[in-house]
Amino acid sequence: MLKSNVLAAIVLSTALILAACGPAAPAPTAAAPEVEPTSVPVETGPVVLKVGWEGTPDTLNLAYAFLVESFTVFDLVYGALTTQQPTGEYVGNLADSWSLSDDGLTWTFKLKGGIKWHDGTPLTAEDVAWGLNAIMADPDGWATVSNYVAGFTEVTATDASTLKIVTEYPVSNMEYRLSWIYTVYPPDFKQFTTAEDLQNFSNFEIIGTGPFKMDTFDEDQRILILKANDDYYGGRPTIDQITFQTYDNSDALIQALKVGEIDMVLDVPQSAFASLFEDEGVKPVQVPGSYFDELIINSVPANHDPAPNKNPALDDPAVRLAIAYAINKQDLVDVVMQGLAEPATTIVPPQLGGGYWHNTDIKDIPFDLAKGNEVLESAGYVMGTDGVRAKGDVRLEFRLQFPADNSLYARVADSMTSWFGEIGIKTTPEAVDSDSLYAAMTPVGDFDLVLWGWGPDPDPDFILSVITSDQFVDGGWSDSGYMNPAYDQLYLDQQQAVDREARRAIIWEMQKMAFDDRPYIVLYYQDLLRAYRSDRFTGFIESPIGIESFQSLLQVKPVQ
Amino acid sequence: MTRRGYLARKIGLSLMTIVVVLVINFLLFRVLPGDPVRSVIGRNVRISIETQLALREQFGLDKPVFPDQFMTTVGQWARGNLGISWSLRRPVGEVLIAKLRNTILLIGLGQILSIILGVTLGLVAGWKRKTAVDMAALTFSLVAWATPTFWLGIILLAAGSTWLGLPTGGIVSPANVGRPLYTVIPDLARHLVMPTTTLTILYLGEYMLIMRSSILEVLSEDYILTAKAKGLSHWQVLRRHALKNAMLPIVTLIALNLGFTVSGAIYIETVFSYDGLGRMFNTALIKQDYPLLQGAFLLLAVSVIIANLVADVLYTYLDPRVRAT
Repeated sequence: MLKSNVLAAIVLSTALILAACGPAAPAPTAAAPEVEPTSVPVETGPVVLKVGWEGTPDTLNLAYAFLVESFTVFDLVYGALTTQQPTGEYVGNLADSWSLSDDGLTWTFKLKGGIKWHDGTPLTAEDVAWGLNAIMADPDGWATVSNYVAGFTEVTATDASTLKIVTEYPVSNMEYRLSWIYTVYPPDFKQFTTAEDLQNFSNFEIIGTGPFKMDTFDEDQRILILKANDDYYGGRPTIDQITFQTYDNSDALIQALKVGEIDMVLDVPQSAFASLFEDEGVKPVQVPGSYFDELIINSVPANHDPAPNKNPALDDPAVRLAIAYAINKQDLVDVVMQGLAEPATTIVPPQLGGGYWHNTDIKDIPFDLAKGNEVLESAGYVMGTDGVRAKGDVRLEFRLQFPADNSLYARVADSMTSWFGEIGIKTTPEAVDSDSLYAAMTPVGDFDLVLWGWGPDPDPDFILSVITSDQFVDGGWSDSGYMNPAYDQLYLDQQQAVDREARRAIIWEMQKMAFDDRPYIVLYYQDLLRAYRSDRFTGFIESPIGIESFQSLLQVKPVQ
Repeated sequence: MTRRGYLARKIGLSLMTIVVVLVINFLLFRVLPGDPVRSVIGRNVRISIETQLALREQFGLDKPVFPDQFMTTVGQWARGNLGISWSLRRPVGEVLIAKLRNTILLIGLGQILSIILGVTLGLVAGWKRKTAVDMAALTFSLVAWATPTFWLGIILLAAGSTWLGLPTGGIVSPANVGRPLYTVIPDLARHLVMPTTTLTILYLGEYMLIMRSSILEVLSEDYILTAKAKGLSHWQVLRRHALKNAMLPIVTLIALNLGFTVSGAIYIETVFSYDGLGRMFNTALIKQDYPLLQGAFLLLAVSVIIANLVADVLYTYLDPRVRAT
């Protein structure tokens, strides 16, 4: 009896110990043995580029597409009047040339010749006009792109290859706007009368004018196959087929690249990037990107209705300056972002427009805890016995919240809390469900400090708009509640400044204003991370628009 | 009470339960904080405020929960229409069926294998209790049951793809997309090996342990002693007397587990990039996609309740004592 009891106890405890040892964050990709990719047969069949990603397009209908994956496909299958080059400037894609009238209100585009839809019919200016007019007529239905036709009053095809666009006011970023309005195949879209019907159309059998055309999309298997367009006016792609496969977790995605099941990975997770250098056949690609994370300081004016719920010390510029002195951006880049980012200054990242818009004159506030203490001391915030500064009954104690679904923010918050503690500011990190967090910020203003991020568009108009007064409404973009009439006016001015240099001057001034008032302290600009099998394919264009841009994939070819 | 009466009563109760579950779920989802429109479109999307309002109207969210939203939903369901998913823009019924097929394939297979293996292992262990076989089986089952799902899945994925050349995810290879599944069985089998193995290992522990203790309990009964005294062989004792009685708890367990098959296995599905109901539940919840969530919970409730019903019915056949009252 005793013997079997002891034995049972041993068995049970072994099981318990093993269970307790189960690691929370497995990383077998680092531990996996050196692997030869499954052998690629000598190619006599079609050349297939297999791409792996973590999402899947939920729709291929431009009216209602929000996911990055949908746009990756659009870029390959569709054409637009203009497109952004890997080097950052805008050139004609469907358009050969264009001109602007002297009053700045009429644009005339000349289309390139020989462009055909994937079903063989020729593209005409009528097709392009139809699309633009449809969006203007039903902005709610064409939810994704209706912002880009703001201010358009009249769009007509004056002949088969000429398009005229008339605007209400001068538009400073027309090329950028048009690059998002892919030209859709009118026969597929003409039938819809309501916004709901339009949006429920998934358009998986998408017809476009791009270098690749749709072959199959199985949305339940989440496999998408594109084939080369033999009649592409820009020259047929070298590869014959692109296959997109979805992986639900990043470990499987990276493993698939390593064993050779896929040739290319879009958006490599930061944690896996370093391990890719070990593998000879894999080339990791790291390019400066424009996504950034920022510390948002509640800037809702105290006299706003409804009044914000925040610590009033946040309105003191000295407190904001001290906070800026107490953030070690380089440390965040090195430790939290594992070196895959650059310390940031303004809200307009250097990547936009090939560096044209970023204000390079602005010098960042350095990490200097002594200076931070000095600023607060001279502003009258006396250090208390509990290590927290106070002026009268205003204590420097703030909530530091961030969306719960991002584990990096938690680490940033922890680092910040310890730095702030050294200058007498107490912050309490708190992970919040992103919906609740958004609801508490816009337009309620119930927060102190929040960590969040943005993915700016290639043109600075959007990111400049997120700190305008108009956007601090239900459904608006402003989370900070920053309200500066001078800034708002400059925003309107730059929207209509057709002269590029004049526009740049305005945008530089806006950046300086935002930097000095500090509704955002922009922390770092994240790098774009990609990877591909360099032992199989070559010719990718490594740029801030990604190796998956159509310009890149047009020239990719197999390694001989 | 006759069997028919018993059944009728059970079915009636089941239907009532389904209705109650549906009403509770309807209310629960709408109590969640946050705005479904923003959840569906996300943060980095350039949609104007007017369009957001239009979407809210389209989803019926501008109307009060009672009575408008509730009556609309009830009216839809009464007509057999489960609505359209806000995030996927597909009919909910269509989405559920597609994911259900994937889930049943994987989890159904895993469950069946784990039932067969677990029960057999439990039987052997109980019959040969306190021998080395018993100890080994016990240890294995406990360890298997205690192993974290995600961890085991990742380990098997890495091992399988590196050493055995098995796929790293999905249901079929891209080359076989679009073909009916029954025509590409070898490819399907290759994709199912690792996830099914993971599932089987994880689930069999439960069956093994319950079967084992069930057998042990039965074997200590007097009538087994009588049977042995009568001179029946071990095998006859097992087959004629022990097994039937020991299976009863297992039947309940199987019914319940099969009912819950429909909730998917989110960890396995995530590790092996397998688009099943588990991930769908999770995504629908995060995106606050009410039509999809409601449809999904309807499916789950119906499935579990039917499974329970079937278990009850089976009992009336298996166990004469149940029918009496």
